Amino acid sequence: MKTIINQQNKTLALFWGVIAILVLSSCEDYLEVQDPVGQINTETVFTDENTATAAITTLYGKLRDQVLLTGNSNGLGMLMGLYADELDYYGSPGASAEQFYLHQVTASNQMVKELWDNAYHLIYLCNAAIEGVVNSDALTEEVKTQLIGEALFVRAVGHFYLVNLFGDIPYITTTNYQQNATVTRLSEQLVYEAIISDLLEAKNLLETNYPTPERIRANNYVAASFLARVYLHLGQWQRAEEESTYVINNPDYVMETDLNREFLKESTSAILQLKPKNEGDNTLEGASFIFSSGPPPVPTLNYRLVEEMEEDDLRKESWVGVVSDGTNAWYFPNKYKQNLNTGTTIEYSVVLRIAELHLIRAEARGMKGNLTGAANDLNSIRTRAGLQNISISTSEELIDAILKERRFELFTEYGHRWFDLKRLGLAADVLANIKPGWQSTNILLPIPEAELLLNPNLQPQNPGY
Amino acid sequence: MKNNFRHGLAFVSFLAIFFNYSFPLFSQNLPPTNVSGIITDADGPLSGVNVLIKNTTRGTISNLDGQYSIRASTIDTLVLTYLGYKTQEVAVGKSSTLNVKMQLDATTLDQVVINAGYYKVSDKEKTGSIAQITSKDIENQPVSNPLAAMQGRMPGVDIVQTSGVVGGGFKVRIRGQSSILAGNEPLYIIDGLPYNSQSLGSQSAAGLIIPGGDISPLNAIDPNTIESIEVLKDADATAIYGSRGANGVVLITTKKGKEGKTSITMSSSTGVANITRKIKLLNTEQYLNMRREAFANDGITDYPATAFDVNGTWDQNRYTNWQNELIGGTAKLRDLNAAISGGNNNTQFRINGRYLNETTVYPGNFNYDRINLNSNLQHHSNDDRFQFTLNAGYTLEENLLPGSDLSGVALQLAPNAPALHTEDGSLNWENSTWVNPLAQLEGVYNNTSKTLLGSTIMQYKLLKNLNLKVQTGYRSTNFESNNQIPHTIYDPAYGLDSSVSQSYLHTGTHTSFITEPQINWKLKKENHSWNVLLGSTFQSQKTNRLTLLGYGFANNGFLENLSAANTLLILNENSNQYKYQSFFARVNYEFKNQLYFNLTGRRDGSSRFSNSYRYGNFGAIGAAWIFSEQLKLPWLNFGKLRGSYGITGNDQIADYQFLQNYFLVDHSYDGNIGLEPARIYNPNYQWEENKKREVAIELGLFKGALNLSTAYYNNRSSNQLIDYSLPATTGFPSIQANLNAIVENSGFEFELLGRVVRKEHFKWNSSLNLSLPKNKLVAFPGLENSTYSNQFVIGQPLNILKLYNLKGVNPETGLYEFEDYNGDNELSGLEDRQYLVDLSPKILAGLSNSLTYRNWSFSLFLQYVKKKGFNEYYGTEPPGTMSNQSTSILDRWQELGDNAPMQQYTTGVNDAAYTAYSRFSQSNGIISDASFLRLKSLSISYNLPLAQSNNNTCKLSLMAQNLYTFTNFKGGDPEQTKGFLPPLRRISFQAQFQL
Repeated sequence: MKTIINQQNKTLALFWGVIAILVLSSCEDYLEVQDPVGQINTETVFTDENTATAAITTLYGKLRDQVLLTGNSNGLGMLMGLYADELDYYGSPGASAEQFYLHQVTASNQMVKELWDNAYHLIYLCNAAIEGVVNSDALTEEVKTQLIGEALFVRAVGHFYLVNLFGDIPYITTTNYQQNATVTRLSEQLVYEAIISDLLEAKNLLETNYPTPERIRANNYVAASFLARVYLHLGQWQRAEEESTYVINNPDYVMETDLNREFLKESTSAILQLKPKNEGDNTLEGASFIFSSGPPPVPTLNYRLVEEMEEDDLRKESWVGVVSDGTNAWYFPNKYKQNLNTGTTIEYSVVLRIAELHLIRAEARGMKGNLTGAANDLNSIRTRAGLQNISISTSEELIDAILKERRFELFTEYGHRWFDLKRLGLAADVLANIKPGWQSTNILLPIPEAELLLNPNLQPQNPGY
Repeated sequence: MKNNFRHGLAFVSFLAIFFNYSFPLFSQNLPPTNVSGIITDADGPLSGVNVLIKNTTRGTISNLDGQYSIRASTIDTLVLTYLGYKTQEVAVGKSSTLNVKMQLDATTLDQVVINAGYYKVSDKEKTGSIAQITSKDIENQPVSNPLAAMQGRMPGVDIVQTSGVVGGGFKVRIRGQSSILAGNEPLYIIDGLPYNSQSLGSQSAAGLIIPGGDISPLNAIDPNTIESIEVLKDADATAIYGSRGANGVVLITTKKGKEGKTSITMSSSTGVANITRKIKLLNTEQYLNMRREAFANDGITDYPATAFDVNGTWDQNRYTNWQNELIGGTAKLRDLNAAISGGNNNTQFRINGRYLNETTVYPGNFNYDRINLNSNLQHHSNDDRFQFTLNAGYTLEENLLPGSDLSGVALQLAPNAPALHTEDGSLNWENSTWVNPLAQLEGVYNNTSKTLLGSTIMQYKLLKNLNLKVQTGYRSTNFESNNQIPHTIYDPAYGLDSSVSQSYLHTGTHTSFITEPQINWKLKKENHSWNVLLGSTFQSQKTNRLTLLGYGFANNGFLENLSAANTLLILNENSNQYKYQSFFARVNYEFKNQLYFNLTGRRDGSSRFSNSYRYGNFGAIGAAWIFSEQLKLPWLNFGKLRGSYGITGNDQIADYQFLQNYFLVDHSYDGNIGLEPARIYNPNYQWEENKKREVAIELGLFKGALNLSTAYYNNRSSNQLIDYSLPATTGFPSIQANLNAIVENSGFEFELLGRVVRKEHFKWNSSLNLSLPKNKLVAFPGLENSTYSNQFVIGQPLNILKLYNLKGVNPETGLYEFEDYNGDNELSGLEDRQYLVDLSPKILAGLSNSLTYRNWSFSLFLQYVKKKGFNEYYGTEPPGTMSNQSTSILDRWQELGDNAPMQQYTTGVNDAAYTAYSRFSQSNGIISDASFLRLKSLSISYNLPLAQSNNNTCKLSLMAQNLYTFTNFKGGDPEQTKGFLPPLRRISFQAQFQL
């Protein structure tokens, strides 16, 4: 009997002994896995200046390749050029871009969805970068200030275009997805206040020098330039004039006298450029607009735009290309002249240039009643274009002259023309006749259908859709 | 490093325990001698009887003449078992010849031992739902993938081959789809080693020839080496696999060496294969009439310059059956197999080698080559306390295929399209009036896959009833593929050269390691017995993938050397690590051989979840009551009621989703890399849960002549892991999260096994299995607002389509009309696509018969599936366009007042007709009944009567797979993936020698 008990005790002891080993040999950290290849922990990104900077420069890379300012066919230069009276559509029928051209945009338009989605994705990247930099203990204050300033600038730019395209929109300043998934739309006015606040802070944080030798990242003057544009949109003439004067007075920004040099990478007119991805690459604008044989595979420059330029406008010569197949001729925007790899890069995409600041100041001065000052600024543009100086005596003349000059100077650059028609209340006058699909509600694009379903707080849809 | 160290420490402690206890205990037994004899039944010699020395794993099998030979000592007892016969125990004693006569048994369930993964259980005593097929079912089938051998044979297991191309993939669902978006793959375990079934292929590099680039890694497993395949289905059986058991478990056990004379088995087979079914297409006359009528309908009298088929450019009397020409070839199968098996009392071995070669049904020289080497070694100490098993296998596969499948183009080409070759044998482009389909074959896809599998089991009996076991396994697979698209696939008139040639290179490697220490304790006290199993698992796996695209080559000869490409792009580069740790336990209690309880549990940790959600607990209880012991009815020799309930989990999502990471993106700027957040940070998601319930009754009737089992199951999976749609204002389209959606799978499964005839020279066994599965989405919060609103409907199965409801052809207009669901007088897309079609199978059934008459044996297997599928109209252009059509379109509307199922022909210029047809393509008009009854496999074999004096045997067999299909379906093969090759009919002749 005793041996049986012993035997059982021994069994039990062994049993529990082995279990003890099984349990003790395990360890919580067995399940720790190495970071996946090509990925870095967020904290690590912001402990190193190089990777933290890369998180910021990626914002420009995305603007260049994908979002809003891209020279691709899904960028504003193309889409809003088609939407206004700058470009004529020659692509495949039924495409989303054609809906822009014909003013038949629906809430399910793929390009509208891309504009919206990509812009908010970019804004997320800005917010993530700001949070990463702010929480970093490793970066120097100097670096932090620069990086946060740049992220705020890009965040403001993103919202600026969104509010112009869609009207009331959410202003996103956090990465908290639960909060962002249920946001409501802010009135345009509040959105603009937030944009100005971001830009002012960016201007405050950013150095007057560029962080690198080229003009390809935001500095203090870049923020000021954009601020000038925002004030112009809001009709805050005094501030628009102040900011533009601030930039114009910087001797580093000298308007190139040769139109053909305006979009080169070393252009002294440039305030902010986007640098192509690889050495030897040129701009996406060049690749999208230039074609060499008809019929055009891509949009063409509207003939009226070319024909309505003054006879001896040098911009017709320098910035407009023409292709003929013997019977027909087509124009194309030729500000950028390179559409292929050139070994060494020749052109950068110019986002902000000094000519725009002159145009902003002209308008601001004029609206304040300083018609001479307005004419002076306009004439600095006209002179370069080989045109006679003008003088302005009435405010009708002023609006007319400014609209005309902006149309011929800034054509196919990031939708300037459309935004001008919109903010000046002239869209119906200009487009109703040439766009059969025109309706007064077209002043805003529809909020993408899917967004309204996913976040009912974004209701109601913009009128007309 | 630290991990590995601690991990190693555990292992070493284990070994220490082994050897501390083991060495002093090894003792010498009496020397074994040779025992041999003949086993017979009432009819004569009985082959295939298992002869086992009691309390050991040593054993042998009687040969065709009933002879056996084994080494045993005089105190040993031989245990003889054979399905359908009573188990006999015979003491060896002093005689060296033991002839045994086996007695038929009424109840046979005792003998069927079932592998339940961490433990074995007899069919009689099992509390869970486990289906089994054995080598007997597998070896009669001329197939190269074990999944093909399982098709239709197990209730509740739905297996569909995705393409007839050799070396392709399979879709496997055990008791339906339970996860909405996470993986639905069962867990595969080969000799105790989890076998990742995720394809290493790549959609971009192989998607045109293999659907989804999905190449089944199980191609590396030679069906000939499989002893048995068990599928675990209910909670009781799967809960011990915890988080990985939600979709069922497939256990594959390979053949082991047997003690006795070293025997050599060699077999050689050769065969042919071709596609099962074709679609009946228009001949030239019918086709041209269709085209002319279409032009007439459209009011076009001058045929356009590009209408080469009708405008006289092409010979209008020419006819080619393009299905015959492009996919109608005969593939040749060759298969050589050799196995050596044997061993003595302590050590047994088995070595198996196989060479397989299979060509394709396409024109041109394409083929699949495979070499398998498998070995098994078992050893046990003289006192049987220590046991060791080693399994090692290596597989080399080489597959050379066309760059894209010709099955699609074979249906579309005009029947009077030009000849493939010119008189001089070169490709005919007929003055650039067509795209020669054979040009596609200039592009090739090849892949090489090398798989190494190794596993060991060490067992030590600490005490009589306490057993320790460590199971360790390693797998490594290297996959490399190259898809070449030379410029020669294009018409030379374009004047292209190799500067437009492209080449994809894709490599994938997968390694995994597992170790599972276990302890087993048995206790028996009078009428009660307990069996306790405890164990733990440490598993890690790593997968690397790299896809490169090179384009622009100086010469097509360089297509294999991507370094020669002008431009090289990295399309995909990733590396994933997955780790897994768990503890499991099983307590089995038995009372008086009548009442059984089985309690299993597992605590799992997976690296796919964040720290807070890493561990999950799973468990189940199963019970069985053998009521026949009490009833004692004459016609009922066995009756069992069993049931189970439990929870299993699913972690089949991508790795690393909980990490807050930045990743590389292609937006580098000013010398800085592109870097952005990979996803929204959400570490708060966890396992998907599957609650499974089952009740079943198992009956043995009329002295075991008929065995019947019926099961009802109801599984509900919840806490679904999905990519939850987010508004774009969050910055991302979706987030990995748990959604409180519920999917229910329920159904009945029946199995009927019958001994129809059991005479002296004639035996006939028959079995039938039947499953009636049902799938339902029970809940999905926020479905209407999610991106899934067009895909799923609450209360409906997951596998539905939302379609227009075709009302027929309007006799006035000759156009299709559809139901206007929302009554707005427009067919406005989604709102009017409210007709629901369920594509999941409704009935799955299989009927198997095996007969033996003297030296002849015959087996036949029929598979039946009731389901709906895409018919011959799926993916077609409107009839009348320059594309061939099925003959079903002949019954069309021609003039006012016609009532016809097909609308008027159009060349596409009639907008209304074109639009109506494109709606038709999204309507229930493209769905038909795709039920089928298939003569899935058939084999006849004959044992050559050789001299009785030796053990040599020779067997000749004729085997066929997918021999004939009975169906009303007109869209090709009812199991075909549209645009890809249907499954093949395979017929093969085999000669097998045993020496």
